[in-house]
Amino acid sequence: MREKVILETQNLSKQFGGFVAVEKVNYKLFEGETAGIIGPNGAGKSTFFNLLTGLFPPTEGKILFFNQDITSTQAEHRVELGLVRTFQLVSVFDSLSVIDNLILAVTRFSPIFTNKFRFFFRDAHIKNITERAKEALNRVGLADKSHILTSELSYGDKRKLEIAMALALNPKVLLLDEPFAGLSDVEIKELLNLLHKVKKSLTLIIIEHKISRIVDLVTRLSVMHEGRIIAEGNPKDVLCNETVRRVYWGGESCSVDGITDSSDRRRRP
Amino acid sequence: MRNNFLEIVRKVDILFIGCAFLLLAPVLTVQRTNDFIIFCIFVLAYNLLYGFMGRLSFGHMLYFGVGAYASALTAEHLSANPFAAIAVALVAGAGTGILLGPITVRTTGACFALINLAFNQVGYFLALIALAKWTGGEDGMAAFFDNIWIFDLGNRYVVFGFSLLCLLLVVYIMKRLTSSSFGILLRTIKENETRAKFLGYNTFRYKLAAFVISTTLSAFAGALSIINYTYVTPSFIDTTRNVEVIFASLIGGSASIYGSLVGGISYMIISNYLPKYIQRWEMFLGVALLLLVFRFRSGLWGYISETVEKYALKGARE
Ligand SMILES: Nc1ncnc2c1ncn2[C@@H]1O[C@H](COP(=O)(O)OP(=O)(O)OP(=O)(O)O)[C@@H](O)[C@H]1O
Ligand SMILES: [Mg+2]
Repeated sequence: MREKVILETQNLSKQFGGFVAVEKVNYKLFEGETAGIIGPNGAGKSTFFNLLTGLFPPTEGKILFFNQDITSTQAEHRVELGLVRTFQLVSVFDSLSVIDNLILAVTRFSPIFTNKFRFFFRDAHIKNITERAKEALNRVGLADKSHILTSELSYGDKRKLEIAMALALNPKVLLLDEPFAGLSDVEIKELLNLLHKVKKSLTLIIIEHKISRIVDLVTRLSVMHEGRIIAEGNPKDVLCNETVRRVYWGGESCSVDGITDSSDRRRRP
Repeated sequence: MRNNFLEIVRKVDILFIGCAFLLLAPVLTVQRTNDFIIFCIFVLAYNLLYGFMGRLSFGHMLYFGVGAYASALTAEHLSANPFAAIAVALVAGAGTGILLGPITVRTTGACFALINLAFNQVGYFLALIALAKWTGGEDGMAAFFDNIWIFDLGNRYVVFGFSLLCLLLVVYIMKRLTSSSFGILLRTIKENETRAKFLGYNTFRYKLAAFVISTTLSAFAGALSIINYTYVTPSFIDTTRNVEVIFASLIGGSASIYGSLVGGISYMIISNYLPKYIQRWEMFLGVALLLLVFRFRSGLWGYISETVEKYALKGARE
């Protein structure tokens, strides 16, 4: 089952000025798996996602997606190929209604997108599209808020909306950058349930700070530190890996509960 | 109940707008109302970029002027058929957009504004000096059109009726463009273009499309004003007149079709009538701008619709 590599990086590096944010990362993602990436603040996790999804080009190295070199492919084209992401700081369109945020996502891979006359001139809210948009909202529990202006949503709801948008794009690979940040405990449980469901039909990479949350979700865990991946493998093994324990937690314990939040020193939205 | 009412209003808005201008005509004179109509078309074209896509141009008189000169030159050299002149103007407007768009739409903010201004300066120079042999330079040129079928262009009522139909057509096109998926996409480009790319949209393409539609409709307004005035001078392509359309957008509310119309009419009323009473009326405009920027961010129309909504909500609660 874990045979096929669908996303691969070779010596992927990114420098900002003289600062190396991502250094020679060789990463492999297998079809159908749910991979987790952990690491302290500033380890380069988000930068790694930004490189994968084409927010900016790498300084060095290659990215292969389904054996196709996408290193210099435009971001929107990577989405078309099935590589979809969410952002660490929630990014949705505040000036639109909740449903309009989804309508664009749903429309992108519908016949309306290819029929330019319809795309330009026909009302965006046709039945078929709004129904699918509502379905997508339903999945994250936002159906009753579909006509609210997005700026009026709580941070947690925006987070859910962003995930609904990503799922509506029918990704082959979905990259979630700290999807639990800013959610309440109840919302985290709901989102975990959703992810347990969707992970059956797509390949996932999740960046997360609180390891305890994703230990049961992911099938493989990678640890990033100072731009490098320093350990990789089965989540429980990785957590007990000695280097990881030293650089990440500085602690001895390798029980999941003992190490949950220690490195999370950041501002929370 | 209230929603139904608004729905109905929205459905017949084109009829309503038509009636409004028909009522304005006897009050303001037909000639003047015609000016208003043409200016409103220009404001609508402008706001596809500014209000909906968030790109403020300081050089839109170029596209208006291209339409004006193209139709005048067509009348002089090609055909005196006014429809041919309009067709050539539309092609010229679209052509200018296709030529300059790939450069301008890559930029945002001040850069977008100034690049358009720079091109506008070049156009102004061409019309005034470099191509003076054809354009008549400072004196401009007259444009004579034949009467086609019932279109007796000597009759100002006919010209008025024709312009009004054109405005209603543009309103219709704008309504469709802004309520479509494309319309939503433009708004996302305004708010966060990078994010729109991550929904899989090649934003460059759609920005270019919006730009070309805007330049084409601007040229349309330019052509109609030549049919109205039957002459063209460099003032039709003068960079300093960009203020007018920017002002109109701010007054009415740029991100809305009704707002554009309210702004277009309000600006024209101010600029046509205020000078009669106050000599340096531009100062009044300056003060009005300050008020708008600080107090009425979404323009008159935005203010009106927000207020109405507030009261309607209150009413619904009681
Ligand atoms: N656009 C940028 N320009 C300059 N430096 C950047 C940029 N993006 C990231 N960095 C730097 O690169 C380093 C890695 O940042 P990154 O956001 O990838 O870390 P992270 O692992 O996602 O951390 P966190 O857990 O805080 O989200 C940081 O030191 C950051 O300051
Ligand atoms: Mg990060």
